[in-house]
Amino acid sequence: MPITAEHAGRSYPATQPYRVSREAIAEFAHAVGDTTAGPDQDPAIASPTFAMVLAARAWEALFGDPELDLALVRTVHADQRFDWRRPIREGDELTATLRIDKVRTRGLTDMVTIGVQIDAQGGETVVTASSTLLHTRTEQDPA
Amino acid sequence: MSTRALQPGDQFGPTTVTVTRETLIEYAAASGDHNPIHWSDRQARALGLDGVIAHGMWTMGRALSVVTDWLGDSSVVSGYFVRFTKPVPVPDDDRGTEVVFSGVVSAADDDLVTITVNATCGDDKVLGAAKVEVRR
Repeated sequence: MPITAEHAGRSYPATQPYRVSREAIAEFAHAVGDTTAGPDQDPAIASPTFAMVLAARAWEALFGDPELDLALVRTVHADQRFDWRRPIREGDELTATLRIDKVRTRGLTDMVTIGVQIDAQGGETVVTASSTLLHTRTEQDPA
Repeated sequence: MSTRALQPGDQFGPTTVTVTRETLIEYAAASGDHNPIHWSDRQARALGLDGVIAHGMWTMGRALSVVTDWLGDSSVVSGYFVRFTKPVPVPDDDRGTEVVFSGVVSAADDDLVTITVNATCGDDKVLGAAKVEVRR
């Protein structure tokens, strides 16, 4: 049974805690050309879009949900939003919790809006993320 | 450029960044995104692309680095939105692909400044409706 508008509101368990390391911060800063964030501060501050590393861990539950019949290879990432309450920093232990916010299907294309909340130890929300994914259904599952 | 001093109309760029296959490998390692469309021409073509393309999230992150370099501070970033409008093709050569970033302060109040960001690759606009919000 493929994804439908009725799946809006479904949420998945939080991912396992991910401990943010100085090394991961440095590697990511280098990869995105960020000269301001990184390991020179103490604690090291992550580049803002490092948040996607955490959000992507939550995406696994979505793509692994057998009810939805979603495939990453048939998915285009259409847009992305982040809101940071504070920078992610070295030593944070972060979990990511995904919720399906909206599903619209036209023909063979599902437009899926997902929200991910990234929380630190103690339940402090550090970042919220929202993505629109465009997914192509296989022809066996027309709307 | 301190966020306190920012006024509508203040601009940055154009800044040209070259992305090569090496950039994509580094980003794949750092981000955990090992999607083969970002390292295998064969697999990219099987999905209808002309070849390997950059991670959209690399383009989003790289654009933000241009902004935070301009500001001298990344801890002030409070919000960021982009639409991924066109892919950035990255051939397997030494020249790579040039992406040009620029932007302008489009709104400002006492607490928050909004910066509109442009990213182009040749004639293509690769990020759409891209806006960064920073705290004063």
